[in-house]
Amino acid sequence: MGLLFLWPAMAAMNDIDPDKTAGNPAAPVTIEVFSDFQCPACKGFHERTLPQLEREFVATGKVFLVYREFPLAVHAHSREAANYAVAAARLSLYRPVADALFRDQIAWSANGKVWDTVASVLTLSQQKKVKAGADDASVLGEIMRDVNAGNGVRITSTPTLVVSRGTTRYPISGTLNYEFLKSLIDDLSK
Amino acid sequence: MTSRSKTLRAVTLVLRIALGVVFVYAAWTKLRTPWELFAMEVDSYQLLPLKLVELVARTLPWFELFVGLLLMTGFWLRTTAAATALLLAAFFTLMVRAYAKGMEIPCGCFGANDIISWKTLLRDGSLLAAALALTVLSFRQRRKAPPTGSLKNA
Repeated sequence: MGLLFLWPAMAAMNDIDPDKTAGNPAAPVTIEVFSDFQCPACKGFHERTLPQLEREFVATGKVFLVYREFPLAVHAHSREAANYAVAAARLSLYRPVADALFRDQIAWSANGKVWDTVASVLTLSQQKKVKAGADDASVLGEIMRDVNAGNGVRITSTPTLVVSRGTTRYPISGTLNYEFLKSLIDDLSK
Repeated sequence: MTSRSKTLRAVTLVLRIALGVVFVYAAWTKLRTPWELFAMEVDSYQLLPLKLVELVARTLPWFELFVGLLLMTGFWLRTTAAATALLLAAFFTLMVRAYAKGMEIPCGCFGANDIISWKTLLRDGSLLAAALALTVLSFRQRRKAPPTGSLKNA
């Protein structure tokens, strides 16, 4: 009977790519980060808020972090960037590629040279695999599943965090103030 | 009572019940979730220091609930209607400001992910119009009401 109540949360978590997670899966709080590589607010979140979150809550076992792709149609190169990042995740290289994509976001958003940024953090053999994997049906399918998961919680902007404890899920978008996020996680962890 | 005044009374009743339900619902969507979620939405407007954001986030939903219940019951109608109109005017102004500045932020109206758009502006603008109408009607009805004991004295 308990499984029936847990089912929606379990179904939502079944499609997680283990190469796009951080922390202990048994942590009391799970945070799914729905992000778009070409969105300026996502760059801000990735470079300022995420490191704090990882240091204070992921490393300490309080939060299990899940990275989700949510490329918005208004951004011309988001989908291509997501394809490369998910293909890199197959080689356990999601994070270095994601870091590089956000670091050089302004440049590749302007000139469209997404691959140059991705290639800059990969060896030649890794480049071949990521290039080939970016068009792979499983990669495209994974991105589609992430987008569907986001649509399931009515995400319309990025970054959006879905903070969950058990079956309760809270989508959060906007400026994502770290002090309030910290207080929320502390309250949910009790 | 003329049919016109009956109609105005019916309109007043419908407006105050509708606005009351909306306010109670708005309060409920905030009170059923941790206060930090609403705090982040208030903070998204980038207007208040964190301490005030926290104060607003912790108290505004209760105030909305109080106003909603007063509207539904009809107590102190003129004061409540005027307060509702002022509150909605403030919300609407802040939303228009955010929209004009191109801020893609949740409006903080009815729970998570209600991003400010022309739809949310239309919705809140309609609520403001309804509150203004209710305020005018409640004051007019008070003015037109016969003085107590006037029939006895006639």
